[in-house]
Amino acid sequence: MDLHKFGIKFFAASADGIDILKLIPIYHRWIQHSALEDLLIDVADYSHVPAGPGVMLIAHEGNYALDETGHERGVVYYSKQRLAGELPERLARVARRALKAAQLMSEDAELDGALRVPGNRLEFYANDRLAAPNTDAAYAELEPALKAFLDRLYAGARYTLAREVDPKERLTVRVEAEGDVPLEALLARVA
Amino acid sequence: MPVNLAREIEVYEGQIELKKQGKIEDKLFGEARLRRGAYGQRYDNGQRHDGITHRSLPFPTQASKGTETMWDAPGMQRIKIPFGGLNPDQMDVLADVAEEYSDAVCHITTRQDVQLHYVHIEDTPDLMRRLASAGITTREACGNAVRNVTACSIAGVCRCEAFDTTPYAKAMAYHLLGHPDTQDMGRKFKVAFSGCKTSSCGLTNIHDLGFIAKTWQSNGATHRGFEVVIGGGLGAVPYDAQLFDATVPEEEILPLAQATCRVFARLGEKRNRGRARLKFLIEKIGVEEFRRRVLEERKVLRPDPRWTDYLKDVERYHEAPAKASSNLDLATLDPELEAWRTTNVYAQRQAGYVAATVTLPLGDITSWQMRRLADVARRYVGDNVRTTVEQNLILRWVSEADLPALYAELKRLDLALGGAGKIEDVVSCPGTDTCKLGIAASRGLAAELHERLVERQKRGEIDPAVRDMHIKTSGCFNSCGHHHLADIGFYGVSRKVGGATVPHFRVLMGGEWANNGATYGLTIGAVPSKRIPEFIDHVTQRYLAGRRPGERFKDFVGRIGKKALKEMVDVFSSVPPYALDRTLYSDWRDPREFTISDITTGECAGEVVPQIEFDLQAAEQRNFEAQVHLEQNEFQKADEAAYQSMLIAAKGLVRTQLWDLGDDPDRIVAEFKTRFYDTQLFQSPDAGQYSGGKFALYMLNRHADVDRAFAPDKARHLVEEAQLFIEAAYGYYQRMSEPRAQAKTKAAVDLPEMAEAAI
Repeated sequence: MDLHKFGIKFFAASADGIDILKLIPIYHRWIQHSALEDLLIDVADYSHVPAGPGVMLIAHEGNYALDETGHERGVVYYSKQRLAGELPERLARVARRALKAAQLMSEDAELDGALRVPGNRLEFYANDRLAAPNTDAAYAELEPALKAFLDRLYAGARYTLAREVDPKERLTVRVEAEGDVPLEALLARVA
Repeated sequence: MPVNLAREIEVYEGQIELKKQGKIEDKLFGEARLRRGAYGQRYDNGQRHDGITHRSLPFPTQASKGTETMWDAPGMQRIKIPFGGLNPDQMDVLADVAEEYSDAVCHITTRQDVQLHYVHIEDTPDLMRRLASAGITTREACGNAVRNVTACSIAGVCRCEAFDTTPYAKAMAYHLLGHPDTQDMGRKFKVAFSGCKTSSCGLTNIHDLGFIAKTWQSNGATHRGFEVVIGGGLGAVPYDAQLFDATVPEEEILPLAQATCRVFARLGEKRNRGRARLKFLIEKIGVEEFRRRVLEERKVLRPDPRWTDYLKDVERYHEAPAKASSNLDLATLDPELEAWRTTNVYAQRQAGYVAATVTLPLGDITSWQMRRLADVARRYVGDNVRTTVEQNLILRWVSEADLPALYAELKRLDLALGGAGKIEDVVSCPGTDTCKLGIAASRGLAAELHERLVERQKRGEIDPAVRDMHIKTSGCFNSCGHHHLADIGFYGVSRKVGGATVPHFRVLMGGEWANNGATYGLTIGAVPSKRIPEFIDHVTQRYLAGRRPGERFKDFVGRIGKKALKEMVDVFSSVPPYALDRTLYSDWRDPREFTISDITTGECAGEVVPQIEFDLQAAEQRNFEAQVHLEQNEFQKADEAAYQSMLIAAKGLVRTQLWDLGDDPDRIVAEFKTRFYDTQLFQSPDAGQYSGGKFALYMLNRHADVDRAFAPDKARHLVEEAQLFIEAAYGYYQRMSEPRAQAKTKAAVDLPEMAEAAI
């Protein structure tokens, strides 16, 4: 599957109390210090949109956000450019960016420890309906690569997959693994 | 997908490829891109102030996609929605492309367009194809072109309109789209339709060309037509539209618009971008002279059956509700629904139907919401959705008894916000968030005001007289946020305080939204950005305390006078020293220390690129396609494409002298021969490598070969010959333009004579 534009969101366990506007100065600081591996460009504030993308950090390679879609907050990264490697490797690259952002957010003094991302719940979005429509055939093609990536991420721990059934939505898979996994451990596995 | 749309996008994709190969210059590609709605965005020159220092953004390539615009920098894609009309399938596609190519947000603009931000140029052809599959075009959404034709969002269901302007606006939009008479204007051109004079929806007063519906009786029959106004516009210096003709019959509106565009293209300013809009031309020559010239031009237009054919569509035009009409017992509504109904629901003139406004904060709706809203529309209203100039969406033809169920659905989608058109429904342009020209954060201010006012309204703290006011914000003086038409309008400026720069907004008060935007607000003074919420509190309290019974804010402002208003502004104009309080030295929702150094050249005006340059580029593109056919051993197709490329180039040259050329190959070739070959212009002795007349003969001979026997060798030769012919055309154009350019620099700013292009 020639899929390069996709997103991975790691759900937060405790983020409801966070004033999402606090992310604006955090993102600007990240830009000043080149805190992430992407070319960071700007901050986009959609905090006024309920259950939306929240406040986004726009990079050349992809977009970061503490996403609020479905009223479920989580740290998401969407890749926008072609990625090197086979699909499992590309999935790992995208996961690494999301995890790194989640780690930085969790540790940021401005948020005062209010954000916790357990790492065991994630959602994958194929953000390219031309390359990966939400069909059985596309899912069958995706599944082995996704499992290869998840086996690496969760190091053999058991996990479940649940696919979005609405054909109008993107090819989306919700993943739930057993138990909390520290972000550091996950990051090490996708390094 | 319509064939013509598919072809246009193929051409655009070809232009992208040619630009990547360095075969199109920046200026030309920039304008071509703009005419496809692909606009620049802040920081796309590769520079950004991060709050500490100016930094270069090290994009992977140093290539450009226009003057000072980096290829890799994300940009904005504007999508035209004529008269704001949307159906659910189109909403689905908009949701999908926003999700996949942008940031999953559709932004509704004050021209009823949809804008997507952070879009990469390489993604735009696919994005455009997907839109085209749903009947949406981005063509001429930006650049020196006829922009989206707007119309009242309640046209056809309005209780006070003369008649439904929808089919007229639609006919106008598609008649002018890509029309040869609109391709050579020096600046953008905006058209609007209004069903009446008294409401605000059409805003004809701020348009280059405005049509206000009217009917009259003659010979026992009712006739339809329009009062036509021209030369209005906001921007730094707002102009009221002037009456062109009190009564223009419906069969005359398309040729009149065409003639107006021709005169504007011919006489409008093309060097000084700040004086290039139609309003300045009319100021210069006077409305009487402009009218005379337009009417003269109208007489020489070649008749076009489309001028009246569309009237059959007008007769047939019909909106099908999804459900039968019904009535609702208002006494049974719960208070929350009733509060929403009071501000967001309009009783249509068709009994048992209402139009429901979906209030969008700052005009933004997520892809997820848009997709779900499309489903809601399918269930309740069918194809009857519109965008509004107040950056909202309207669901028309809601069967009244469905309101409780519809409200519940909207609530589930977080789209049941009330206050449509009220003070909390703050309108804003993109400002410094994404606009290259933005001075201050209009969206940051608008978001802040919106949230504060919504909370106050929830607490019942806003007096109804205040709630009826409008607040509109723009990031700079260009007025994309319509600040002149608000009770309280703001536009971004900056002030130096103790050597530091402080974001401010200049305040305008007393603008009128009603009567098609009939009165522009008075500029009073500037207030630091961060002090605006308290300034609004102060002003509205003064209004409530000092108003006469029933007095509107606009009238209050007029009565108390500018001096009193200035005193109110002055109370809030002070800025504490930086060392004491840094709060005011940054903008709303942007903690960076404020700077205006990120402002760059806007693309709003685009570059003025003569039509001949587009024609020659199109010829080159066609010949490139001929080469592709050759590669694929499609020799007849290659031969035909090469021949067409020569015709395109020849037509471009002829049209520099004879605008009304048409597409007949015989005529193109005959005119080319007479004007360029027989006169030896094409084979000028100082034309270096293109001096021989043989390149012209390639085209003349091929045209004469009517019984051509297609053969691989002949096709190969013709592709080569076509390339040489196109190069020779470029050569002629350069020779022609150099002396003209020299003459222009010497010339005064006088208008060119009408005869120049009226041959």
